[in-house]
Amino acid sequence: MSAPEQTYETATSRLEEIIRRLDSGEAELRETLALCKEGRGLVEFCAAELDAVGQGLEELRLDELVARLEAGAARPQDPS
Amino acid sequence: MAEAATQRPDGIAGSSLPGPFPVGAYAKKLQEELRKRARLQLVGEAWNVKRSKARVYFELRDGDGALPCAMWNDAWEKCGVPATAFADGAQVVVAGGPDYYPGSRTSSPGFSFDVSALRIAGEGDLLAQVDRLRRKLDAEGLLEPQRRLPRPVLPRTIGVVTGESGKARDDVLAGLARRGWQGRLVWAFAPVQDRHAAAAITSALQDLAATDQVDVVVVARGGGSLADLFAFCDETLCRTVALLSVPVIASVGHHTDRTLIDDVAAIACSTPTHAAEAAVPLHCSEARLAIGAGAGRLADHARRAVLGRARHLAQLSRAPAQVVTRQRARLHQLLREMRASARRRGLAESGRQLRGNAAALERRAGVARGAGAASRQAKLDALGSALGAHDPERIVARGYAVVDDGEGAVITSAAAARAARRVRLFFSDADVRANIEDP
Repeated sequence: MSAPEQTYETATSRLEEIIRRLDSGEAELRETLALCKEGRGLVEFCAAELDAVGQGLEELRLDELVARLEAGAARPQDPS
Repeated sequence: MAEAATQRPDGIAGSSLPGPFPVGAYAKKLQEELRKRARLQLVGEAWNVKRSKARVYFELRDGDGALPCAMWNDAWEKCGVPATAFADGAQVVVAGGPDYYPGSRTSSPGFSFDVSALRIAGEGDLLAQVDRLRRKLDAEGLLEPQRRLPRPVLPRTIGVVTGESGKARDDVLAGLARRGWQGRLVWAFAPVQDRHAAAAITSALQDLAATDQVDVVVVARGGGSLADLFAFCDETLCRTVALLSVPVIASVGHHTDRTLIDDVAAIACSTPTHAAEAAVPLHCSEARLAIGAGAGRLADHARRAVLGRARHLAQLSRAPAQVVTRQRARLHQLLREMRASARRRGLAESGRQLRGNAAALERRAGVARGAGAASRQAKLDALGSALGAHDPERIVARGYAVVDDGEGAVITSAAAARAARRVRLFFSDADVRANIEDP
């Protein structure tokens, strides 16, 4: 069974859970460091998601998107 | 004037028609004749609706012809038709009859259909039709699937189906700007009013979903009559929306309008701006601040976890040395107190003995003072000196030492010293402890 895909909402939800656990002061050192490491990963994921919708609005028409996708499908080796 | 009216010109030569008659009389006659015609109801689309202080004017049209209509304001108000519903293109039923305003030398004549009552036609029929379809889709469970679809709080790509020239387009952009969202926006322009609208919108939705690139779709259109919005009640369109794998947010008409797409969509919003905001539930700027704050708190916890524990470990490592130092200081203090106590006890004992001896001597001296006082005094002085020579402090000052068993009992013999094993030697300046070794 594969892990569910990470989304912004699952990431922020887990991050809040981690911070609550750390705030409680009940986590011992090993758990604290593990939680901090996991939390940093989640912060990076969320920041990347926000960056993806923060670099300037890109407007295109449906036919342009379709053309772009078809061009991409025709040239799968092209990294652009 | 009267004279002019009676002097009629000759008619047209060769014409067999009667006259000429004065036009005003004929106009009035025409008015009377038209008003005699049967009053009846007509149906058609209202166009060019205009309102004046006294009357409402419009044209009633269908594919074969048109009539200018006029309605007195009091009759209009009695009908109770909402002003928004009576817009250009509205299908209406009117009751009334033909009329003619004969005009005068200073005003133009006019023909109109005098409307005494009006209702929006087809509205009830359309509403009933929509309601039947809604019940049908509900019975098939098609009002639920869209609501069950997960909607991302931060979509990367949003599809928008709307009219290319409508205001809805600007409203969607305004809503996205409010959220601080700057992702990818895919416009799927389609007619939103004519008879081709439903098919075009359906096709646009299917094409958007087929790209597999769009996280959410907004369908937006401004207000209009139910007839205008009827495309969004199309059965095929609504079935397509219901079964689409991408969540659809509908914003069709004003907040008072309710089309069938509102019922099958994931969310129905009152304006395109709200629809855009619903497509991006997250406020991106606030989210960036919140994520930054979360990162800060994580860093604090990590730093505190390591530094706090390191500090604690350092305290623990220092603890044994501190305990030893404390105990050593306490031992020294106890030792000092013990020495002082022993010294006080030894001196007090010696003093008591001396005072006892002196008192006894005093008593003897008193007895002996009667005879040979002088010789006795001399002897007494000698005894006093001898006694002074036995003062323990003076003896100790001369290099002797007082020995006790450590508990204050004076040891006066080697046997007692051997028995005690550990003894204490009092010198003039301090005392020391010593172990007795058996010979």
